[in-house]
Amino acid sequence: MEKLELEKDVKVVKTICDRCHCACGVLVYVKNGRVIKVEGDPDFPQNEGMMCPKGLAVIQFLYHPDRLKYPMKRVGERGEGKWQRITWDEALNLVASKFKEIMEKYGPEAITWSWGDAAYHCCWVTKQAWLYAMKGITHLHSDAHYCYHPVMVANGVTFGDFVTSEIGPDFENSRCIMLWGANPVMAHPTFARKIMIAKRKGAKLIVVDPRFTEIASKADLYLQIRPGTDAALALGMLNVIIDEGLYDKEFVDKWCIGFDKLKKRVEEYPPKRVSEITWLSEDEIIQAARMWATNRPSTHYTRIGVQMSVNVVQAIRAISIMIAICGNLDIKGGHILSNKPKGFKSLLEIITKELRLPPELEDKRIGAKEFPLMCSSHSLATNLCHPPSVIHAILTGEPYPVKALWALNDILLALEDSEETKKALLSLEFFVGSDFFMTPTLELCDVILPPCSYLERDEVEDLFYLNFVGARQKVIEPMYETRDDRWMDFEIIKRMGLELPTEWKTIEELNDYRVKGMGITFEELKKKRYVMEPIRYKKYEETGFNTPSGKVELYSSILEKFGYDPLPSYTENPETPVSAPELAKEYPLILITGHRHIAYFHSANRQIPWLRELCPYPYLEIHPETAEKLGIKDGDWVWIETPRSKDKRVKQVAKLTEAVHPRVVAAPSHWWYPERKEPDHGCWESNINVVTSNDPPYDPISGSTPLRCGLCKVYKVEE
Amino acid sequence: MVRYSLLADIDLCIGCYACEVACKQENNIPVGPKWIRVNKVGPKRVGGKLKMYFVPVHCAHCGKPPCIDACPEKAISKRSDGIVLINSELCIGCKKCIEVCPLGAIQFNPEKGVAEKCTLCVHRVTQGLLPSCVKHCPTGALYFGDPNNFTAKIQEKSVRVILESKL
Repeated sequence: MEKLELEKDVKVVKTICDRCHCACGVLVYVKNGRVIKVEGDPDFPQNEGMMCPKGLAVIQFLYHPDRLKYPMKRVGERGEGKWQRITWDEALNLVASKFKEIMEKYGPEAITWSWGDAAYHCCWVTKQAWLYAMKGITHLHSDAHYCYHPVMVANGVTFGDFVTSEIGPDFENSRCIMLWGANPVMAHPTFARKIMIAKRKGAKLIVVDPRFTEIASKADLYLQIRPGTDAALALGMLNVIIDEGLYDKEFVDKWCIGFDKLKKRVEEYPPKRVSEITWLSEDEIIQAARMWATNRPSTHYTRIGVQMSVNVVQAIRAISIMIAICGNLDIKGGHILSNKPKGFKSLLEIITKELRLPPELEDKRIGAKEFPLMCSSHSLATNLCHPPSVIHAILTGEPYPVKALWALNDILLALEDSEETKKALLSLEFFVGSDFFMTPTLELCDVILPPCSYLERDEVEDLFYLNFVGARQKVIEPMYETRDDRWMDFEIIKRMGLELPTEWKTIEELNDYRVKGMGITFEELKKKRYVMEPIRYKKYEETGFNTPSGKVELYSSILEKFGYDPLPSYTENPETPVSAPELAKEYPLILITGHRHIAYFHSANRQIPWLRELCPYPYLEIHPETAEKLGIKDGDWVWIETPRSKDKRVKQVAKLTEAVHPRVVAAPSHWWYPERKEPDHGCWESNINVVTSNDPPYDPISGSTPLRCGLCKVYKVEE
Repeated sequence: MVRYSLLADIDLCIGCYACEVACKQENNIPVGPKWIRVNKVGPKRVGGKLKMYFVPVHCAHCGKPPCIDACPEKAISKRSDGIVLINSELCIGCKKCIEVCPLGAIQFNPEKGVAEKCTLCVHRVTQGLLPSCVKHCPTGALYFGDPNNFTAKIQEKSVRVILESKL
């Protein structure tokens, strides 16, 4: 084990990064109270020493001159950019009294909070506790409908656990890994590491993505699918797997129900038909099915590329079913079911089990009626609303008025249809924001409460760890007048005169509460760094599956009960060359929005010099042949317009690349320019959400919006 | 005497840029110069299939470094362990070394007005540590140590990629 010969006065603190979802172990070098370096911790199971650019550039984030330093209140008009420094006491009293006033006037459901990266998962529990204390039901988790949660529902109805996204796939021991709409090199580098380890051991890699990504370049089989047709491919693969008898008959007989119905359904999706839908050849579909089903144990990883469509839950249902019938559930190298340390209170357990309000209240939540499996008391996801419907509720007062929002993210950039979002934010009676830097969203707030960073707080981390729990520990005291988000929540609860009906009422008590069942305190967890539970396989043999039947439900009784198709099916998205051929004459290109760059985490990091240097501008990927026809050269600024743009358009820099199909372009999302000092910080210029829509049709089960398969036209910016 | 070298396995490099930023942090390099740079080759359709490679390029600490001869101030020297270093106190910023470097590995630091490049993290390796880029690479694509142990393997891969890409 290597050891740096430490200079005098340098100490090393072990903690956990939170600059993205990976939550890597880090060694932080501190000299005279100042962080001088951050390195990957070779002894931490999540990353084993590796680090990504975001984590490695954290010093430029921590000591950035533009970090928000103290609470402020607006003194000009909203969005005018005039602020006055206030004390924490004044800020908290102001926020608490306004929330109380709105609660008394409109009811607690008129108050909401939106989750974001600024606070990561740190205060999900305490913000939820604050809502819970006032019997509030409106939680605006801004990406809920198309990120993570649809997977929870699709996996959940099938086998009662969440295994095809951030936790579950045992990549390292898998013999065939198939990635759907996921590029972990850019979005989840610890997974990219594990996939490459598997490849070195001889595993096959299949990548389904309309973009030829970094990880696709390492694939044995790359499938350049037509955007939005993943469900058809999964059904076509099921057709081949069942037709050729490549599934695990014993597991199906013993643990699955509805196989005959499934068999009949997938007969509707022979490779020939699927080929026509997906732009893939019959041979590619058959090859993928055989490669994945015969190189067992095998895994699927489904990420946001699949999830932004009106077909997401059924697509991931079909993929979940493939996992089950090929016997890949809860085995080494397959998909591991929940395996948290015994006695540990996981974040999801607190959110989804302990902090639940009576069903009659939860069933009033925005989205509960339309998307009960996401938003009601029957939710298989977390306790949240349908985000586009919350924006509509703010604007219309239907189904109930929403008048106050506490934003922990750059919601103006993150949500579909930025103009409508801005209208909604401006129409709020009270708007509070917490973030590390001034953002286009914070500029619209009434009060700003600046949080401290991960290096300045103590907390338990577990959300995306399969079988361990770690301690994130304070390395330095909070800088300036920044404060722990959870402290803000406890203070607001107190100052609103609310009673928190939990046994934890401070940060320290919450940290201890979560690990108490493991027989330790948070201080002890800090010393141990992490506690790991051995992985147990085939746990279902003792407990059955967490579904109504206790079996894997190929034919879903839950979906049937709620009036959805109980078998997986394919639906064409609403705005494609197939479903809208007339529209496609004017808008001939398919637009994928929101592919990631490793420098950025959603809207974050564009002011960090070492990160911005990696990707200085938003680059629209366009095929060279298409660009030539349009007279576009590499590096030209181009306008992007969609049928939903109304009178708006955004510009990005053309990147000519064969990574995309000639009929597809790919635009990154969340673009703004922190270096521009005017209050909108250039967020109307390049952010692709200016030209997306939050209107239906949605995915009927999750409410997802088709952000990766709509139409657009692209033309050169003429000066 | 131990001889040090750094080489990249392009079959394992995934283009994540961790090495670039690890190097920036370790050596406190401003925006602009890069002591290690991940070059993207492709994507390009070869024989009907899309191909793309990532090739990290950095100072090769050459056997007979042309930069040493090009420097009028004798600011560049090669240590007995193979590491080529630029003495920034002697460097006058004339950029002659940058002109002769066949890899474009020598970078001009606009803040200091001097030529700089990969030092193989000499301050780390002399303590028995890995260079920061090697330590943080997620896939183990960077090899550090005695070049005799791995050159043949890497050359074989590089040649194959060049042929495949027809570049």
